[in-house]
Amino acid sequence: MGIQEVQGNCNAQAYQKNRNAGRGEGFQKRFLQNLKDRDEAKQAAADAQVTVGKIGMKPGIRVSAAATQEAMQAVEVRHMSYEESDHVKIAVTEGYTLKGKREESADAKVYVEAKYDDGRLEAYQVEINKISANTNQKIEQFALETMNEV
Amino acid sequence: MEEKWSYLADEYRAMLYRIAFSNMKNRADAEDAVQEAFLRYMKDEKPIQNKEHEKAWLIRTTIHICLDILKSGWYQRTVPWNESFENAAKNIYLPYQVKDDRTLDAVLQLPVHYRNPIYLFYYEDYSIREIAEILNEKEGTVKTRLRRGREEVKKLLTERRP
Repeated sequence: MGIQEVQGNCNAQAYQKNRNAGRGEGFQKRFLQNLKDRDEAKQAAADAQVTVGKIGMKPGIRVSAAATQEAMQAVEVRHMSYEESDHVKIAVTEGYTLKGKREESADAKVYVEAKYDDGRLEAYQVEINKISANTNQKIEQFALETMNEV
Repeated sequence: MEEKWSYLADEYRAMLYRIAFSNMKNRADAEDAVQEAFLRYMKDEKPIQNKEHEKAWLIRTTIHICLDILKSGWYQRTVPWNESFENAAKNIYLPYQVKDDRTLDAVLQLPVHYRNPIYLFYYEDYSIREIAEILNEKEGTVKTRLRRGREEVKKLLTERRP
């Protein structure tokens, strides 16, 4: 029993030594990983804020950060009817409708209302002159089409 | 009475005709359904609360009349003369330009529980809340039907692609 106790103590000391060593390494590894993860999360949150901004995101219509800042501005929904609109786009397979009207008060500005099949309703004011020539952003393209319809 | 009739016709006839046509897919039956809806409205003694309620009542009644006609034994044994279901979209005169008749044709071929929510949402511009009220369904049900109906439209368009 006594021998067993002595042997047990030796084992315990060895275990403590190994355990602490392992713990130190593991802690350092995890700490560095956590720091890295936190930085990535911060960056992702900052990116999301720039991208989403005032304008909501939807798989059907992607709003790039550049588009958001430059040509498009989220505005209050006016609940415009199809009859009042200058241009209408019905995208059944993509789950949304777009209604566009050239702003009378301002030159080269188009009001665009987007309705999604999940119930969301969004509105933007698009400055035509700020739209890049090769834009592939759906709402900007629609605003250009609306401008040409008038 | 005549004034009321004229007001109803001016205000709702075109829209109700389009909704009836989306269900019946032929002019004569669509017109019959709309007239029947107006008649029922005139005979109805219940007070209508407001314009929105009036519109919802008329749309709901028109859809019910269409579905009753479609279910009737007489209708199922007959085929409308000289009209093709394939090009039904060309006979819906929407108050705006639709560039893609193929999609509307596909919508008109959907089963009724997908067709009406999809048609009302996309082509008559009703909100999910309004459609829920018109069809007497929950908003969640309407959303689900819009989503599933959209998938059905995609399938129909893919099948038809040459």
